Amino acid sequence: MASPPALAEAQRWLQHAVLAQHPPSQPVEDMLTASSRLGAAQRLGVYRRGYRLRLLQAMRGLHPGLRALLGPELFDDFALDYLDACPSGSYTLQRLDERFAGHLAAGRPDREQPVRLRETWIDVMIDLARYERVFAEVYDGPGTEGTGIPTWTGPLESAPELLGRRVLLAPCLRVLRLCAPVHTYLAAVRRGRRPEPPAPRPVWLAVSRRDYVVTATEIASDSYQFLAALLGGAAVRVAAVEAGMDTADAVNRLRGWAANGWARGLARAQPFAVPASA
Amino acid sequence: MSSGHHPPAARSRPVPAADLGLGVGLRSPHFAHVLSHWPEVEWFEIISENFMDSGGYPRHALDRIAERYPIVMHGVSLSVGSTDPLDFGYLDRLRRLADATRARWVSDHVCWTGVAGLNTHDLLPVPFTEESLAHVVRRVKVVQDVLERPLVLENPSTYAAFSGAAMSEWEFLARLATESGCGLLLDVNNVYVSAFNHDFDPEEYVRALPHDRVVQIHLAGHSDMGTHIVDTHDQPVAEPVWRLYELATSLTGPVPTLLEWDDHIPQFPELLAELDKARRYTAVSDAEARAESRTAVPVAMPVRCG
Repeated sequence: MASPPALAEAQRWLQHAVLAQHPPSQPVEDMLTASSRLGAAQRLGVYRRGYRLRLLQAMRGLHPGLRALLGPELFDDFALDYLDACPSGSYTLQRLDERFAGHLAAGRPDREQPVRLRETWIDVMIDLARYERVFAEVYDGPGTEGTGIPTWTGPLESAPELLGRRVLLAPCLRVLRLCAPVHTYLAAVRRGRRPEPPAPRPVWLAVSRRDYVVTATEIASDSYQFLAALLGGAAVRVAAVEAGMDTADAVNRLRGWAANGWARGLARAQPFAVPASA
Repeated sequence: MSSGHHPPAARSRPVPAADLGLGVGLRSPHFAHVLSHWPEVEWFEIISENFMDSGGYPRHALDRIAERYPIVMHGVSLSVGSTDPLDFGYLDRLRRLADATRARWVSDHVCWTGVAGLNTHDLLPVPFTEESLAHVVRRVKVVQDVLERPLVLENPSTYAAFSGAAMSEWEFLARLATESGCGLLLDVNNVYVSAFNHDFDPEEYVRALPHDRVVQIHLAGHSDMGTHIVDTHDQPVAEPVWRLYELATSLTGPVPTLLEWDDHIPQFPELLAELDKARRYTAVSDAEARAESRTAVPVAMPVRCG
């Protein structure tokens, strides 16, 4: 009987043998046993195929829109390339695609070209991957339902008081700048339709959730900039300046977002930390 | 290796379990049905990782279901056999979910899912060596301390085995349970699948386990690929697996039993009909007599040529 390989060494070997694009060059028989029906290399092959198929199925489930846009074969090619380049480090398959859109962007064949000369359909593809990731985060991430986070129902404070404060936004709120209305494309795919690919046009989108239903709302470009700055932690005045808005306009927009639940209130000023007495 | 007659297991299990009966795995396509019909199923098992970080509808549905049904948590990423350090952030999330759902117990698999910070999302086989056993026992004790409850570990289906094994899989499991204090989740379909894939006798496996450590039994369907069997959870339970279940319950006594179905998931009533078959195999009152009778009717493995 062969002496057993040390545990850590055995695990590193098997993981590499499963994940690598090509089977190992070292004789598999040195590490794994055969059965009466399959040799050691064939038994390793069961794991190699199972790994790719399982993660490919997960990627298909995470990106039904992109799969519809590209077709099943091309989608699988992109997904397998991504899985080879970016193996999962998460304990959940729900985060398997966290780097997918970035991987697609880094690998686009026209990435060296000036932006104006790049292929538009690649932009659409990458933005659809980004949107599907955000959709999943908003669907299953923290929201405002049942959390006790209050709705901003009272009158907005006076502008001078408001402008220096940060705004509490719904934890499920995200904003996206997209090159096409990929949100309507995905909605149609989810309803079982076969829509035409989305025609490119600038889209500024707020994605949120209410009563566990994800909402995608097209907003003006300055609203996008204002919300993005607020999400980044800027005070109202600073965010308004970044968006090129006057303060009255900014307060009006906030009023609307308080009504639809995106803005939940004003952040409290941080109290001074008082050292505990000995 | 023990293979003779055993009486039904004494009631000395790591967690009290006999009251649960028959349950099914809670899967998202069934949320709406369960929440609107509150079907007559005795308990649900959840995949822990599907809910640990959820703040959306899946968690909302689980919280409502946990108000009415007992919940058992079943994980796939504990990676208790890995030589990577334990992920204490993961364990903390697991414990918080168990507390929130008042989970009867927390289970995972005797396997490892990755090293070097990666997760293959597969249940990879552990070597059946003394080094491996000592490693897993040590980690199970840490996990149980962090979770503040006994851990229950399942035998996975495997398709390859490391060379240089010092013991059988069933001996590894028996010693693991005894030395760590963990419970066992006996997946009889996995026993059948692995028995075919590794050329061992599934009955010998089931007979040799410490039956008083078996806290739960899993049932599922598999796919016969000719040269090997894959644990696919995509079809009804195969007849030889039912017979192995019958043997197992004759040895363990009543044990909470769960039907897993993860692909080509049927409508909920169809799922319950499949689960209900389990009653046929546990309804005989004289468990010892059934255990004796089973010795004359061995579980058949598919016959292959060449």
